[in-house]
Amino acid sequence: MWENRCKVAVSGVGFSRVTRSAEIPLAAHALAAVKGAVEDSGLALSDIDGLATYPELPATGHAMVDGITIVSVNCMMAMLKLPNLAWHVQVETVNIGGAVQQAVNALLAGVCRYAVVWRAMHNPKGTYQNLPGAQAQGAAQFTAPYGFGGPGQGMAVAYTRWLERHGQSREKMATLAVTQRRHSHKNPHAYFCGQPLTREDYLNSRMVAYPFCLYDCDIPVQGAVAIVLTTAARARDLRPRPAYIAGYGQRLAFEVAGRIGSLSSYMEGGRSSSRLTWERSGFSPKDVDVAQIYDGFSASVIYGLESYGFCKEGEALDFIQDGRMELDGELPLNTFGGSLSTGRIHGLWHIIEGALQASGRAGERQVEDVNVSFVGASAPIVQGTTFIFVREPY
Amino acid sequence: MTMSDWNRVTRPIPVPNEWTKPFWESARRGVLALQRCQACKHFQHPPYATCVRCMAIDLAFEPVSGKGAIYAYTIMYHAGDKRFAAAIPYASIIVELDDAPGALLAANLLEAPYTEAKVGRRVEVVFEPLNDDITLPQFRLARDKQ
Repeated sequence: MWENRCKVAVSGVGFSRVTRSAEIPLAAHALAAVKGAVEDSGLALSDIDGLATYPELPATGHAMVDGITIVSVNCMMAMLKLPNLAWHVQVETVNIGGAVQQAVNALLAGVCRYAVVWRAMHNPKGTYQNLPGAQAQGAAQFTAPYGFGGPGQGMAVAYTRWLERHGQSREKMATLAVTQRRHSHKNPHAYFCGQPLTREDYLNSRMVAYPFCLYDCDIPVQGAVAIVLTTAARARDLRPRPAYIAGYGQRLAFEVAGRIGSLSSYMEGGRSSSRLTWERSGFSPKDVDVAQIYDGFSASVIYGLESYGFCKEGEALDFIQDGRMELDGELPLNTFGGSLSTGRIHGLWHIIEGALQASGRAGERQVEDVNVSFVGASAPIVQGTTFIFVREPY
Repeated sequence: MTMSDWNRVTRPIPVPNEWTKPFWESARRGVLALQRCQACKHFQHPPYATCVRCMAIDLAFEPVSGKGAIYAYTIMYHAGDKRFAAAIPYASIIVELDDAPGALLAANLLEAPYTEAKVGRRVEVVFEPLNDDITLPQFRLARDKQ
């Protein structure tokens, strides 16, 4: 087991308003989320001395404008003017989970005391994913000429392989979309809170990139979320009950050109990341009371459930049936609604929900008697990170 | 009618670089050639600076048969990119070649309804010239008994 387990905790969490398109600059969303998280902890901004983010805009073919399409560490520093800032990092790989893990490391190293991590996501005007112009450079030269554009298609290919190798049917995925939507009705911050989704809506919705229909894809939105991390000893003196980080893992892998993932890479990435998390925490999948698994595209949940070890390969779509992913089920799953219902904010919201469930702060959607709370914070292959939060340090 | 209409599609033109130039030069001559490690004989695609299996740097492009199977696929229905709108719905496939297990090539399934795209189906390479310099390797369902 990891000697540093439960030495760092998530304390406060914060949310901006989530809108379909940009009504105010993205920096204002990020600022609202960060201020909210600091206030939730009962801290003042002057207490914050560490900053971390992963600022990528997943939409392709759009200009990067700091404060408008992304919110970099530099942008946040300029807004907050923190008098005691001692550490900051902006990660390029392993997604927002990597930024959280860097903050954990910085706190363990003693180079900062209260770190804030935020994820801000912009929804650009016009087409979200633009193929390259007249010319396809770099890895795209082997994909874009064939009409392979954004990650939707890139992730759909692994899904057809999974479906056909295991003799499965995509209709079973309706359970995931519908159940997560129902969970989101207990999450006032979610974009789709209060908007119902039925099995029929799912089955009749338009196809985007087979096997993905509209409701297999998270909706692009404008919004931000943030967390405060600190050492366990400090966290116990703050307002919220701490969610202790019992272990984490990460893995980055790509084996096909461009943004196309092979099924074997997803599985290998998920196994590698979660193995580190299980070993460091000392827990195994059967110990988990509640799970958040990244669902930017629905099929990522399949790869997650199987590669993390919650069920066998080929069985994930059967595993989620029969009430198993309900709030009172065997493995309550994406209890905040997942990205499919909150909107596309990437994995920090999964991390937040994992922490809230561990600390008993998930409100109406709180799962009973949670101690071990698992998070797969991004698609296992591309930039996979996994976490375990616990209520009781051990 | 389930055949995708590719005649009205304007494809982005690949720009060869120092690693990929031999791939495109071979394709222009109607030969599918992949990067192969001269030390351990492993084929890889896309091209890299080193062998992804043994880390050797002695790499050369060698012809492959162009026969293989559909490893995975997706059917594109979304007309986000207007240049491809005329072909919707169309099959974008990933092909694993018999000669190069693990080296996965993207392509479209040509000369067949998109509904023919299925995992494991046998395919063979065909070549689609885009201009005088660039010819795209593509795939169709295999015609000979294999």
